[in-house]
Amino acid sequence: MAVNKKPVSFQVNGRTIQATLEPRLHLADFLRDHEHLTGTHIGCEHGVCGACTLEIDGVPARACLTYTVSCEGAEVRTIEGLEHDPVMVQLRAAFTSEHALQCGYCTPGMLVTARDIVLRLPDADEARIRKELSGNLCRCTGYVGIVHAIQKVQQQRKVTT
Amino acid sequence: MKSSSTQGVGARLARKEDDRYLRGQGEFVGDIHRPGMLEVAFARSPVAHARIVSIEKPAGAEDRVFTMEDLRGVQPIRAISGLPGFKPSDLWPLAKDKVRHVGEPVAMCVAATRAEAEDLAAQVFVDYEELPAVVDMVQARTAPSALVHEHWGDNVFLETLYDDDLSAAKASAPIQIRRHIRTARQSMAPMEGRGVLCEWNTRLGQLEMYSSAQMPHINRAGLSECLGLDQGAIRVIAPDVGGGFGYKGILLSEEICLGWLARNLHKPVRWLEDRREQLVASTNCREHDYDITVYAERDGKLIGIDCDATVDSGAYSLYPFSACLEAAQVGSILPGPYKMDHYRCHTWSACTNKPPILPYRGVARTGVCFALELMLDAVAREANIEPFEVRLRNLVQPHEMPFDNITKKHFDSGDYPESVRQAISAINLPAWREKQKAGLPDGRRIGIGLSVYCEQGAHGTSVYAGWGIPMVPGHEQCFARLSPDGVFEVRIGAQSHGQSLETTLAQVANEILGVDPQNVRVIHGDTGLTPYSTGTWGSRCMVMSGGAVATASKEIAVRVKKIAGKIMEVAEQDLVLEHGAVRVAGTDRSMTLAEVAHIWYRKPQLLPADVDPAGLEVTAGYKTLRDSGTFSYACHALVIALDTALGHSEILDYVIVEDGGTLVNPMVVDGQIYGGTAQGIGTALYEEMPYDSEGQPLASTLADYMLPGPTEVPEPRIVHMSTPSPYTEFGQKGIGEGGAIAPPAAIINAINDALAPLGAELTTSPASPRRVLAAIEAARLRQAA
Repeated sequence: MAVNKKPVSFQVNGRTIQATLEPRLHLADFLRDHEHLTGTHIGCEHGVCGACTLEIDGVPARACLTYTVSCEGAEVRTIEGLEHDPVMVQLRAAFTSEHALQCGYCTPGMLVTARDIVLRLPDADEARIRKELSGNLCRCTGYVGIVHAIQKVQQQRKVTT
Repeated sequence: MKSSSTQGVGARLARKEDDRYLRGQGEFVGDIHRPGMLEVAFARSPVAHARIVSIEKPAGAEDRVFTMEDLRGVQPIRAISGLPGFKPSDLWPLAKDKVRHVGEPVAMCVAATRAEAEDLAAQVFVDYEELPAVVDMVQARTAPSALVHEHWGDNVFLETLYDDDLSAAKASAPIQIRRHIRTARQSMAPMEGRGVLCEWNTRLGQLEMYSSAQMPHINRAGLSECLGLDQGAIRVIAPDVGGGFGYKGILLSEEICLGWLARNLHKPVRWLEDRREQLVASTNCREHDYDITVYAERDGKLIGIDCDATVDSGAYSLYPFSACLEAAQVGSILPGPYKMDHYRCHTWSACTNKPPILPYRGVARTGVCFALELMLDAVAREANIEPFEVRLRNLVQPHEMPFDNITKKHFDSGDYPESVRQAISAINLPAWREKQKAGLPDGRRIGIGLSVYCEQGAHGTSVYAGWGIPMVPGHEQCFARLSPDGVFEVRIGAQSHGQSLETTLAQVANEILGVDPQNVRVIHGDTGLTPYSTGTWGSRCMVMSGGAVATASKEIAVRVKKIAGKIMEVAEQDLVLEHGAVRVAGTDRSMTLAEVAHIWYRKPQLLPADVDPAGLEVTAGYKTLRDSGTFSYACHALVIALDTALGHSEILDYVIVEDGGTLVNPMVVDGQIYGGTAQGIGTALYEEMPYDSEGQPLASTLADYMLPGPTEVPEPRIVHMSTPSPYTEFGQKGIGEGGAIAPPAAIINAINDALAPLGAELTTSPASPRRVLAAIEAARLRQAA
């Protein structure tokens, strides 16, 4: 099928990407297949499961619902780009101590959402945390460890700040 | 046995496998790239039942589109059962002559990208001559609209009968209750779909297949049969696998297709299942129908059960579990831990024009628990006693253990009534009964429900030999090696996809050898590196792989002591292993495991000539003392608030009193229970894969197929009991499935408890708002009439 490719330029984890792409290529496929950034997982490709959650211009977004060519000028940050982020370092430790992951497939998306909750809603109670997390599905943990891990990092940040 | 050591059996050790996942560095099939790799998409049937008149490949793309006619030499998947009367089905990896469910693959399309492969699939023209669809499982066998496999003469894979004479009960039982109970068809829905990547290695003459699989050795066996390759010519690697729950315990048509393709194209090829394929084309589970009558004394004591049970097995028998495991299992496990004198159960594995089913977490137990526990609550209402009293009057008592129930299931240990008593106490039944009288201030009704289940895990040869399916578990092996640097490597044939075996098996090694779990490398999921295993299913790994690792570790301990004894010039029996070292008992003389290994491998000149040359590598096998399985169990008790205007229920409190024997890692056990319970809540309230009268699936996205999210699932309170199994290495029992078994029964019992004053009762899962409102309306009409 002949497709008119379109040029696009944007940042991924601080690196400039310039590419000419099929308009139908979504951001998750682009990151995974073109950039080999496979930490952004694909779970449903219709915006329900949250496995592909990443940051676009500092806000959590669904990579599977984002056409890559629509990212002109955007700053995209994936789980790989959050490796040394101080909140992510705390969340990683808390996810392990609270047993917040089993198969690990939903985990990168969960972490991106969890980081947003910790930063945006430092005082969110359990009910609010669950509501904020409701765009991310996990089939293994029953969410107990994930909620505990977020609460733990909220507490740690209160003590240190 | 040491108990609750800091890193061994009983320790809440944090998981070793977490780090890579937390950095997005897990390696799932979809993360693997190969130079020159091509992507595959399948053209799939849009109709449920049709004869294929012709298939036209898109012009100019004939060499990139393949039908069954092209796959010369490939054999169909034939998953037989040895049970008498079983009718086998041939599942061709690409449909030949007929399609029997929506989504059945018809042609395989290859291109540089998945999108281009899908473009090709959309251009494949298939002329279908449509046939009437067989959709309802009971009608399929009693009044068939068509025959799914014409030469059978009916739509029944298998019929089983556990016979008994219930005429005396029928004549005299003071309580006789009959109900029609149904459970919805479900999708298992692991977060990662299936995926297959194949490459032909010319040097080795070997097909290398990465597959998102729970039982790679079984996949290899099936591939060998279908592709006509010897088993050594196939290596199956299950890398990181994003959840299984039974969905990935299967030989896939797509695996056979891609295996053939990689070998014939001499190029790496990959297929990744998307969510729509998973929902509309791939396997389902759980669809049961019960016509059940319970006979009881006035005080709720059971006399007998009479049941006709049908399971919708879908269109084909799948490898290795077959189309009949689920229904036949209903017949053997329905009575569970309850005592009764009479039991009759007739089962049918019905064949329909829907995707085939697979055993999902808990297999038939979730349906059986739902049917029986709903009936026990109905008995309680009839006898006018608390539902928990009916359980206490009928459950096996601890002094009767070990116990053979009416179907000769052998219960190894446990105190079932105590789990009920503790659950009733933890949920605080009297307080809720008091609140129930007034209801909640917002007008919602309160309902309290409970259910009891048992979970048979680590099934052995005697349990499975009778099914006669392509796979029968026996002993489990572990290859273990103390490496030259002192790292202890254990290789097992099962696969860990969330079960945490990389951690818990290291704890087992620590328990025996004293080696630091961080210095234990657990290798799994690769037929090229590991001993044969039937894989990860049926709550078996902690018992079987754990037993094998323990056995191999013990053998390594013997070998280490022999070598260290020679070096240190002391008798082996004076040596003890602890903290990664071998020490002369009562002294401070010791050598680390690394020092022993270093001398063995690198400086054999330091060893005397008469040292045993057996070395520090072993393959050891393990079998439980009795192979009838372990029985873990629990009582789930909960409170719901039911909105009778909207039909919506909210869980207010949830208690689980669970007995999994000795817990190797209680944190991991809790995680399995939380996760299983979340899935059970999905089964109870949300998940349903409906089909219309033409066999079209009506849920094709996760917006239609509702998985429970963080706001639907509460945090259950878990209470542990611990009755070790007398038959396993440390007393551990399989616990992976249990969480998913009890919730539908407990939750719908709670809803029925709330509905009882209205005379309404629900007997179908999930308890969607529509069903709840329909039950209320039916009761209103009944009372008006």
